[in-house]
Amino acid sequence: MRALGLAGYLKTAAMTAGVVWDSPLFLIDFALRVLRVLVLLGLWRSILGAGESAAGVSLAAVLTYTVIAEVFSEQLAVRTTLPEAFWEGTLVMRFLRPMGLIRQLSAEMLGRWFIHFTFFSVPLFLLAPLLGVDPRPASAVNGALFALSLALSVLVGLAMEQLFGAATVAFEQPVWIVDYVRTAVSTVLSGSLLPLALYPWGLGDIFSYLPFAAMAWAPLAIFTGVGQPLPLLVSQLIWLAILWPLGTWLWNANREKLISYGG
Amino acid sequence: MAAPARAATSPSDTVVELSGVSKIYRQRIRAPRLSEALRTFFRPSMRLVEALKTVDLTIRRGEVVAYAGPNGAGKSTTIKLLSGLLAPDAGTVRVLGLDPVHDRVGYVGRIGVVFGQRTELWWDHPVAESFEWKRVVWNIPRERYERMLGLVRELLALDEIMLTLVRELSLGQRMRADLALALMHEPEILLLDEPTLGLDVLARRRILAFIRDLNRERGVSVVVTSHDMAELEQLAGRIVMLHQGQIAFDGHFAELRRLATRGRVLTLETASAVAPRLNGAELISSAESRHEYAFDAATIKLSHLLEQAAAQTEVLDVETHRPPIDQVVADLYEHWQRAAPSRSVPH
Amino acid sequence: MAADSVWRRLFRLWALYGSMDLLWLARGPRIAVPFILSDFVTGIATITATFLLAERFNGIGPWAKPQVLFLLGYSLLVRGLIDVLFNFNMAQVSRRIGRGQLDHLLIQPQPLWMAFLTEGFAPFSGAGMLLPGLGLTVYSVAELQLSVSGTWVALFALYLVGSIAIVLSFEYAWASVAFWAPRAAEEINSDTWRLITQLAPFPLEGIAGWALAGLLTILPVGLVAWYPARVLLRMAGPPWAPLVLPVAALIASAFATWIFTRGLNQYGRTGSSRYLSLGHRR
Repeated sequence: MRALGLAGYLKTAAMTAGVVWDSPLFLIDFALRVLRVLVLLGLWRSILGAGESAAGVSLAAVLTYTVIAEVFSEQLAVRTTLPEAFWEGTLVMRFLRPMGLIRQLSAEMLGRWFIHFTFFSVPLFLLAPLLGVDPRPASAVNGALFALSLALSVLVGLAMEQLFGAATVAFEQPVWIVDYVRTAVSTVLSGSLLPLALYPWGLGDIFSYLPFAAMAWAPLAIFTGVGQPLPLLVSQLIWLAILWPLGTWLWNANREKLISYGG
Repeated sequence: MAAPARAATSPSDTVVELSGVSKIYRQRIRAPRLSEALRTFFRPSMRLVEALKTVDLTIRRGEVVAYAGPNGAGKSTTIKLLSGLLAPDAGTVRVLGLDPVHDRVGYVGRIGVVFGQRTELWWDHPVAESFEWKRVVWNIPRERYERMLGLVRELLALDEIMLTLVRELSLGQRMRADLALALMHEPEILLLDEPTLGLDVLARRRILAFIRDLNRERGVSVVVTSHDMAELEQLAGRIVMLHQGQIAFDGHFAELRRLATRGRVLTLETASAVAPRLNGAELISSAESRHEYAFDAATIKLSHLLEQAAAQTEVLDVETHRPPIDQVVADLYEHWQRAAPSRSVPH
Repeated sequence: MAADSVWRRLFRLWALYGSMDLLWLARGPRIAVPFILSDFVTGIATITATFLLAERFNGIGPWAKPQVLFLLGYSLLVRGLIDVLFNFNMAQVSRRIGRGQLDHLLIQPQPLWMAFLTEGFAPFSGAGMLLPGLGLTVYSVAELQLSVSGTWVALFALYLVGSIAIVLSFEYAWASVAFWAPRAAEEINSDTWRLITQLAPFPLEGIAGWALAGLLTILPVGLVAWYPARVLLRMAGPPWAPLVLPVAALIASAFATWIFTRGLNQYGRTGSSRYLSLGHRR
């Protein structure tokens, strides 16, 4: 049965990958994202000269931070097809499948990741030296801890997805409004665009205690060596321990509403 | 830009004229295997689907024409051609003397379109607001607007829903409002694509009665598609049936029955529980002393069958009936499907 | 249609859609507040990174802090005006095309451009970006002690129109893909819009020459705020620099019109085989 469950999981992932693959237009999105990296790299170079650093973050580190943030952008800001299911009013159909909802959503997410990783992440990683960026982690240990931290950030992201999904329904708000606000807020608070260490007025210190930072800042700071791994990993674990039960509780409390929501 | 005045044409004018109209769609063929998917990633394989094949059709002013056919026969394509949403690949489409695509702006001011599966109403506004919107965008003179609003409010019982948000309407209420909205500029021809899809019996009856009255009292020409043959028969005298993009039948319902349903059902009640053997008729069922037969009225006479039965047993009662129109059409579709090859070709 | 009757009709339609927008908001704070707030938050988020960097490093490259604020104000104004004039997926028109919703516009008895120009008018629900944009612009102009003449204001207004034309041309040109690939390209304007809104507020000096050339031509992000702000702030540039934006806007509009018309012809041949009732507020 367990093997069958895995087969179903992988088949769902493959089906989703197939949907993305169905049209070459996803390459346009990838090309536009590469462009965004180019602009950000240019921005940093116009702020910090070669060899310069600010708040202990060197130009080289911040360039690496920028590229790696984009390479792992899907994992650092976990998004599933939950908002689409709300939007289309098809969530109820998912309850009719013999697979848990989070499992379904994560399988679909995995399918999308496969395409993203193959056609965007790997090429961008390989392209980085040509852009004058060293894409390697600060050290082998940092690399290993980054892998652990990335896994935690995916789990935190999934918990947030569940939490926001349930909150959308609980507060009866249009799904796209919640989605827009969440994307906007998390871009600023998570450190996926700029390292939190470089925020003015000590804002970065405050933001680093928020759950969004557990999604992007923690793994990226570990990778580039601009943050202490242990406290960052601990903060991720704490947020995981808080967000999962909270999300599950809110989800279950609104299960009935969830089924009738959408359309 | 004022709404165009009603055309000063005689009731016998041709309002719709399709001459040699063909429409071909290109459909992508999905690769089942990964190797093929990789090969066809940038140059996908296509096949051509002929939605309409050299269709000729004329509709006169004041006619109600039922447009029917199995799924994918080309009904919606025709409605889209008539609405000016699609241009033909070959042939010409003229409606009200205009080319629906090239004369779009003037043309759509003279037609009304209702697609059963979509709505022209503004989702997040009360129904009344969509009517006001229609008045401004269609530039409907105030007098005409008030007159038509009064008419549709009464006949389609809109008063109860005018202040309700569209998103909160039931399907039947929404269809009534959509139909009313399509009529506000007093169109000369009404194109209805499955206007009763998903409606309950009562809502359906109300809409059908309204369309009938509209045609009788105001002379509006109507082209209506539906899968419900009984409903189409109630509405229209003439039925155009499409099959695989071609007109397979164009005539009156009565003619269709005559042509397609020579089949009859004969029910005999006899003194014996054993069903008589009748040459030229097929026994469908037999229960106690009631026996049902199917026969072709064109090849065998009823009297001949009765003679055979009477020779074998005592006949107590006789009934014959024609199958319902839906059954007739279903048989017809089945017959067409067996007879005709697929119309898609790889490209 | 005579020119005066065209204008009369345009104003009538703007009045209609403006009143519908107000009515929609007037339904109650439960709808209005999150809607305006979400626009405000997303808009502010796009300029936050640049703002924080300018604050942290007291400017960015050759841009002094007040100059960066002017750039941000200008980009918010461009976005705000588009939100007001081309809301409801009129700027992100690939959604309407991809979802088969163009049919709604095609059965209206008016030229398509007129519907595009008016149906997205949202002077109330779409105004979330205008005030912050205006505030930042005025504040930065005061900080910079710019000598604001009538000519400068006229140039500023002309540039706003030019930048809006650039954004819309970019959106409509990409949206045309949806005529050929409706499902795949339905959300293509989300990508292009994100690119524009995310990159427009950044100073682009540090970018390699070839990339900058691309950002001023094929993907004209640089013309949305960066280049016009440089000209308006009289930062160094060739004497013909003020002409670049208007000329580019004309070329971009002509190209977008050409490709979109081709797409419309394609639509006339194939129509849309898909239809989604959701995704716009009709």
